[in-house]
Amino acid sequence: MSKQAGIIVGILAVIIVLISLVGGSYNSLVTKKEHVDTEYSNISIMLERRADLIPNLVSTVKGYTTHETEIIDKITTARKNLLSAKDIDEMSKANDELTNSLQALMVVVENYPDLKSSENFIQLSDELAGTENRIAVARKDYNDAVKEYNTAVKKFPMNIFASMFGFEQKEYFEAKEGSAQVPNVEF
Amino acid sequence: MKKKLIIYLLVSFLLLPTTVLALVKPTKEFYVNDYADILSEETENYIVQKSSALHKQTKAQIVVVTVKNLEGRDLESYATDLFRSFGIGDKKENNGLLLLVSLEERQSRIEVGYGLEGVLPDAKTGRFQDTYMIPYFKEDNFDEGMLNGYKAFYKEVATFYGYTEDIDEPIEEDTSQIIEIVAIVMYVGIIIIVIGFIKNGRGPGGFYYGGRSYRGGSSSRGGFSSGGFSGGGGFSGGGGSSRGF
Repeated sequence: MSKQAGIIVGILAVIIVLISLVGGSYNSLVTKKEHVDTEYSNISIMLERRADLIPNLVSTVKGYTTHETEIIDKITTARKNLLSAKDIDEMSKANDELTNSLQALMVVVENYPDLKSSENFIQLSDELAGTENRIAVARKDYNDAVKEYNTAVKKFPMNIFASMFGFEQKEYFEAKEGSAQVPNVEF
Repeated sequence: MKKKLIIYLLVSFLLLPTTVLALVKPTKEFYVNDYADILSEETENYIVQKSSALHKQTKAQIVVVTVKNLEGRDLESYATDLFRSFGIGDKKENNGLLLLVSLEERQSRIEVGYGLEGVLPDAKTGRFQDTYMIPYFKEDNFDEGMLNGYKAFYKEVATFYGYTEDIDEPIEEDTSQIIEIVAIVMYVGIIIIVIGFIKNGRGPGGFYYGGRSYRGGSSSRGGFSSGGFSGGGGFSGGGGSSRGF
């Protein structure tokens, strides 16, 4: 056997070992990516559901109030932004925006006891609160899935091949620090 | 250096149980977990018997949990974690229901598994709490409130599956208010009669109006002799409603 053939056999052996190494982690990575995608769609379903509840809420609030157009406008805009969001970053931003404007609304509602105690409003509040909680749960599940996936992508041997196979790091769905706390009150 | 390591290990061992075991574990009865000790034995036995029959027929599981406090956590995430760690409901159908009360925070939550969200949307669970449970909870009458609420939710779930035997009607607060009004009217009437009697020179009768009876937390767990129950691996996505009282 010539020296060249020896080198070729050596290279082939290394490649085979690498393929078998990569193959196993490739499959598990596919599963993990699938998991992330499922959780992602869970979040978007819940966000859509939240957006769907808004028109009903707005018309109920309008029925009991006259001077709250500014808050209602904010809510409607936030809803539009949420529905047109294209990626996870835009989604979480629009969702925070909606959360802020809804919180501002809930403060205002205190001035309208009739609205607050109306059956329609109680029902909508329950549905909204339930949906918000589902979003919180879905966000946690999604982030857990992303964490697991991202860790797997960073591990050897996938860290070398991940970009080759199109496994990129996924973005977390994060409520930006502070953005949820400070509603922008204008006078 | 070694000392530091030992201290570190000790501390981490001490911290470990508090972070990992922040949730209560299911009891042998599974369907009733009265950690706040606020339910009577009859109520507990009733719930275990009803829930296990329901599970046999429909695979759905209704679980009642009472806790002293939420260990500093918020009600919603506590309930979801509890639901998932208990595995309430069937694994495929996710038809579990959790009725949770925490005493110190004075909060209650109904957590609904995916599979029951159709029959029990959030608004309905909120309305059911307002109608059947909260009025009792406000008076610290947890035993009756939980039993009444349980009956209401049991009825919904059982009817949904077409399992309509042995359904007990819950008491609606509206009707009991009417009963109370009737009672007050009668009471006033009786007083007038009594006053009339006194004026007529006869002695007053021993009339007594007690109102709704208060049954406190005379509860004890255990004593259910069957082999015990466990969760079916059901899952919840955070549906349901919360109330303070």
